Amino acid sequence: MKKIFLLLLITLPLGVWAQQKPAQNDELSGMRAVGSPANPKVPMRWNHYNDYAGITKFCQDMAKAHPDLVRIESMGKSFQGRDLWVLVVTDFKTGNPDRKPGFYIDGNIHSNELQGSEIAMYTAWYLAENFGNVAFTTELLKDKVFYITPTINPDAREDFIKNPNNANSPRSGMVPLDDDGDGEADEDKYDDLDGDGNIVLMRRKTPLGRMKQDPGDPTRMIPAKPDEAGEYELLGYEGIDNDGDGQVNEDVTGYYDPNRDWGWSWQPNYVQNGALYYPGSLPETQAIKRYIMRHPNIAGAQSYHNYGGMFLRGPGAEEDQQYYNQSDIAVYDVIGRMGEKIIPGYNYYVIYKDLYTVYGGEIDWLALGRGIFTFSNELMTSYLLFRQKPNDPNRFQNDEFNQFGKYLLFDDAYVAWKPFKHPQYGDIEIGGPKKNYVRNHPGFMLEEDAHRNMSFTLYHAHQTPKLEVQSINTRAVGNGLTEVTATIVNQRVIPTHSSHDVRYKIERPDYITLKGGTPLAGMIVENEDLNITREQRNNPATIEVPNIPGMGFVKVRWLVKGGGKYTVEVDSRKGGLAQKTQ
Amino acid sequence: MKQPFLSALLAGSLFLFLSSDPAAFAQAPPTGPYPNFTQLTNRLRTLTNRHNGLAQLQSIGKSHGGRDIWLLTVGRGNAARKPAVAVVAGVEAGHLAGTELAVQLAEKLLAASGQDSVARLLNGKMFYIFPSINPDAQEQFTARPRYERSGNGADTDDDRDGRLNEDPFEDLNRDGLITHIRIEDPTGTFVPSPDDPRVLVKADPGKGETGRYIVISEGNDNDRDGAFNEDGAGGVSLDRNFTFDYPIFIPGSGEMAVSEPENRALLDFLYKAPNVYAVFTFGPYNNLSEAPKFDRSKTTRRIITGVLEKDAPVGEQVSRLYNSQTGLKDAPAGPPAKGNFAQTAYYHYGRFSFSTPGWWVPKAATPADTAKGKKPDAKPSDNEEVKFLRWAESQNLRDVFVPWQPIDHPDFPGRKAEVGGLAPYARLNPPVSFLNDAADRHLKFLTAFARRMPVIDIVNVRTEKLSDGLTRVTAQVVNTGLLPTGSEIGDRVRFVPKMKVEMNTGTGQTVVSGRKRLLRAPMAAGESMEVSFIVSGTGRATLEAGNAMTGMKSVEITLR
Repeated sequence: MKKIFLLLLITLPLGVWAQQKPAQNDELSGMRAVGSPANPKVPMRWNHYNDYAGITKFCQDMAKAHPDLVRIESMGKSFQGRDLWVLVVTDFKTGNPDRKPGFYIDGNIHSNELQGSEIAMYTAWYLAENFGNVAFTTELLKDKVFYITPTINPDAREDFIKNPNNANSPRSGMVPLDDDGDGEADEDKYDDLDGDGNIVLMRRKTPLGRMKQDPGDPTRMIPAKPDEAGEYELLGYEGIDNDGDGQVNEDVTGYYDPNRDWGWSWQPNYVQNGALYYPGSLPETQAIKRYIMRHPNIAGAQSYHNYGGMFLRGPGAEEDQQYYNQSDIAVYDVIGRMGEKIIPGYNYYVIYKDLYTVYGGEIDWLALGRGIFTFSNELMTSYLLFRQKPNDPNRFQNDEFNQFGKYLLFDDAYVAWKPFKHPQYGDIEIGGPKKNYVRNHPGFMLEEDAHRNMSFTLYHAHQTPKLEVQSINTRAVGNGLTEVTATIVNQRVIPTHSSHDVRYKIERPDYITLKGGTPLAGMIVENEDLNITREQRNNPATIEVPNIPGMGFVKVRWLVKGGGKYTVEVDSRKGGLAQKTQ
Repeated sequence: MKQPFLSALLAGSLFLFLSSDPAAFAQAPPTGPYPNFTQLTNRLRTLTNRHNGLAQLQSIGKSHGGRDIWLLTVGRGNAARKPAVAVVAGVEAGHLAGTELAVQLAEKLLAASGQDSVARLLNGKMFYIFPSINPDAQEQFTARPRYERSGNGADTDDDRDGRLNEDPFEDLNRDGLITHIRIEDPTGTFVPSPDDPRVLVKADPGKGETGRYIVISEGNDNDRDGAFNEDGAGGVSLDRNFTFDYPIFIPGSGEMAVSEPENRALLDFLYKAPNVYAVFTFGPYNNLSEAPKFDRSKTTRRIITGVLEKDAPVGEQVSRLYNSQTGLKDAPAGPPAKGNFAQTAYYHYGRFSFSTPGWWVPKAATPADTAKGKKPDAKPSDNEEVKFLRWAESQNLRDVFVPWQPIDHPDFPGRKAEVGGLAPYARLNPPVSFLNDAADRHLKFLTAFARRMPVIDIVNVRTEKLSDGLTRVTAQVVNTGLLPTGSEIGDRVRFVPKMKVEMNTGTGQTVVSGRKRLLRAPMAAGESMEVSFIVSGTGRATLEAGNAMTGMKSVEITLR
């Protein structure tokens, strides 16, 4: 006991001193670069990929270092029992965090798409470390609350990082499934034949093959010309026939798609490959769903994926086009086009039209199931390599990566072809891109793209509703009655309800309440100049409006007996709270 | 006015029968009122105690209200190793008759288990019986006031206005039942039916009719929003909450498909039970008395909405079997509700799926009436409510209709308002005593169906010695059952087992020609296939064929 007291005595003054240190401290030997926190409380390097322990430590460190700005929560457990961490980032000293317009960020739903986690972490870090220094950040955290979930597929992320894999495996989670219908699950996975931690390609020299080695670049296999003999055949990813069924790698880890497990336009596996039994078959999906439903203040969302350099909006399926009408699309257009400016080389696209069809995707559930304006960024694009459009429009088939690997990564990104004696295929060679190449950013590019993607997402978050009671006007109308007219404005682009939300009443109306005096009648003013109003007969003190439009306003009016000092309070689930007293 | 789906279909009654001792069920047909959850549980326990070794009771999960979702497994031995039929009831909670029929089926099947043919059936097949998927809602039958509740125990904001359960029903005439209110009003759209003035029907301007009554459900507009009783207790209607054709944002459909613990529990069990061959549902949807027709245009789009070409004739075959075995006629057309279980069981779960109300109002039996000296009905009515009332009258059923009585309704001051109409639950749920016969008929059908299920045999096995230690094995695999080994839709569903033929080799043996393991699409009734292998090595090998839905057949082969 005594010892603890002494310890307190010693540490307390230090703690106070640490908090009082000026923000522009001189621990930097040099000058702060604009745009980056000078001396962060949580020092981070943004040029590598974190395992689960690293993410957990980051989240805990942030909460510890910024107790008034960052809190750590768990949304629930993954299939293998890992916590799904959420950082709640806001100015906890200003307002009720549960009632601020919320912004949800997650990443890494596909476990091989790592960098969404780092970008989500960078965002939490940047916001907290700049609070009080950068006015925009300070205001943003006063107004909004961020729910930042670095990884929603921690089990398979860990597998991707710790175990031999290729750039595409596992996209799934870790629930074992029978992929080949033989009654066994995950019994014929990839095999790291040379034990180097990478699952690369197998090729065999044969006059029967139709492939050849690119004469200009030995890392690259290209098809032989139509009138030319080939030298090689490609035999897929490294692996053997583990279960002796005559097939190689036919039942790998997983296999399903966590991003086909969501409760909007869900379709079974024969329509939508990767689907499970019903939306929410996975514990991760259930945990996130519950978390989102418990936070109806979430007005905007971002789910980071890779690859391709895209700002994607829904719908995922053509059938759902009917749920995107012009006014909602106009909001997406504002944000998406700003994105094209913020990140050169990234394009604003619609999933079903410009990418491919997705049924049961997460962002469709957020956007159409919950009425949340949602983007999904496909991180990384070959444009970033040489800052020009690729010479082959197929996003997986151009040689920029080989060139970049040679001149900027100095052959660090590829496993050189080497011979191997395969139990089924005989003499083969194995080689090709390492698992951390192509889809995930090279280290030195990660921080820049994290910052740019964060900037896009902060623009999106900034555009969530900001409500203000702009004016309260009164007019005596005789018989001791007063007409009180209030104008409520939304200063941002995103409305309190998407028009899809208004149509299906996903979220309750916004409430506008008059205090002071006894309202005898309440009405929505549809046209003030022509005095066209619509009365709300029940409970006139609280007018219910279906929506407060983006960059727009609503006017409401009461006929009031008595009172004199009127207060108008606005209570919107996604728009937050506002009030004014006359 | 909100006209809940069920009010249109269902109604209920207070039955003044004496409740019977549950122990007497096996002997005497059940009578009395429909059981509440505790009584149902006791009845299932009694049954499993009496038939230890043939019946097992397990809870597959809990409802929102904490009630167990019971699964009664009937059959001998290891259930997972035998082809099974699932019988599902009480998804549409207002259909109490289905729950009763499912339990009686189990009782009757077990009571007959001493007979050789039934014993054989229970040795070879399993019956997974789920008597009540929505016990929370079914409990409303014994609660006061009684109303046709389809929603489970979840809290739902049915009118999506931000207020929870703010406009429930009120039992204005304090008779314990929620019926209807009619108000004489020139803006009303209802008129008394010409066939029976107690029944109100939509006025048809084409017949020169103008509306006389506003009709609402019994209660007040508590929140004064112009809608009556649109948001009371009662959460998600499970039979609108499954994945096929899921209806978004309608009252009772929930916030997303399969959002509820009850239907998750059911699907989790079924998807992990590869041995389920077919699913039978007791509910308002009827695809048994008349099978859905094949419509190519519904099967060629990405999202399939019609039965597939090979499955349609199977549906017709089973429909004929149903009609002949039950001897039932004049079944009502029961269109499927969006998001219902039975369609999900076919389109998404990939099993043959059949649904029937199990009981319906029989066609008026006029000769009996004339024999008693009563006047026969003037002319048959095509109004279901009128038909029901006439039948109820012929059976001397009381308490199926509450006569219209004047009432002061606070929302219609000074106006002529009356409370009355069909009693809740009455129309789809006859007195329990009427279900004994229906249960017998359905048992006959169900056992006949089970006896027609696919049977895999391996015949004409030949071994030819090519040289020392090299043998050619040929055989034919045949489905000697009267139904295919699986549905065509199931062949597309990942979680439906494929037909498997496999040469299981021993040590030192290898298959040098032919696929050691072959997975294939379902085999039609009577379909056969030839398999041929060259195996090197000597000793015993096993050729096996089938899957969990058909059972595995294996033959031993000696390699010399």
